[in-house]
Amino acid sequence: MNARWRSAIGRAFGDRKTRTLGMLLIALGVLGKLILRDYANFETVFVASLLAGSLLGRWWTVLVPMATLAILEPILWSLGYRGYPIAVMLGLTFFVFTGFLFVGLVGRRMKPRVLFRVGSIALLTTVSVPLTIAYDLWTDVGEYYFIAQPMGLTFWDVLQMQAIFTAYHLLSSLIFVPLFGSGLLYLHSVVWRTEQPEELAEQSRQDS
Amino acid sequence: MVRRLAEWHKALIFVAALSVTVAGLYAYVQASQPPRVQPQGVRGVHLTIDGGSWRIDYAPAETTNNSAFAILMEASEAFGFPVEYVRYTIPDGVFVTAINGSRNGEGGRFWQFWVNGAYGSVAADHAAIHDGDAVLWWYTSSREGTPA
Repeated sequence: MNARWRSAIGRAFGDRKTRTLGMLLIALGVLGKLILRDYANFETVFVASLLAGSLLGRWWTVLVPMATLAILEPILWSLGYRGYPIAVMLGLTFFVFTGFLFVGLVGRRMKPRVLFRVGSIALLTTVSVPLTIAYDLWTDVGEYYFIAQPMGLTFWDVLQMQAIFTAYHLLSSLIFVPLFGSGLLYLHSVVWRTEQPEELAEQSRQDS
Repeated sequence: MVRRLAEWHKALIFVAALSVTVAGLYAYVQASQPPRVQPQGVRGVHLTIDGGSWRIDYAPAETTNNSAFAILMEASEAFGFPVEYVRYTIPDGVFVTAINGSRNGEGGRFWQFWVNGAYGSVAADHAAIHDGDAVLWWYTSSREGTPA
């Protein structure tokens, strides 16, 4: 691989350690969701997306939620929901994709403030609460449009039915964000301290 | 050293606050959960399964399958038609996805149930049935109206 390519990959995806953490987040999102499949709204895609933006930044903000869902969605749709029309599946998938992308982008906004400190874990956990509610509201819009409305249900009906599921989703975020956030921050900041942009720029200059 | 202690203190306060929040939220979701149906003998229950182009009627003299889901499964065994469902652990409950080959979503229709004309607003295995109840499983695109 020539220096120009290495430099481009470095700019987009960071150094080897950052790329390893990115792959680890994708694995966390996929495996966590599959293992917790029977526990509706207990999932790890949310925390993987949030951490991708707030820890890794760069293209991982987009790649982690997109790659995780690209692997998960076909599996989940084929396990129990395979009768749904393709338009409904694609429509609901759009809301899920954009919802998690939004989570990653909000995480990216917080990146400068996320360090290996209790305050950072508390910040991520606190932010995860309104973010989980916002994500659920957004996907409720999709559920209303593609499933509930054709059945004669109102958006208010959807919100009422969703309340208990959002409570479970909040529980999921309150448990997984500090749990995996602490672990990943430790790996990111202490064990596999990743090179900073200025270090990468220096490496790029040396290569060329 | 002072900074490290401060971090530990912060960590303890954070874990304590988080534990209280999680426990409170967990208590709320547990309290919101409809109670499990206790198995109990019921008489004169009538089950109708309306798939649009087909219909099954089932009326056992007595049964201990006293939930909207359990009576459906009993009929499934009695008549030999398949029922597909997803069982969730949290929240506890089943979600019926297909009966006798008719799957949710096809033509915008979904399996929904009514007990004595009242729309099922909880998971079918949490919807208790009593003596003389009429259970309807209807493959429909709307929750309004009744089968023709």
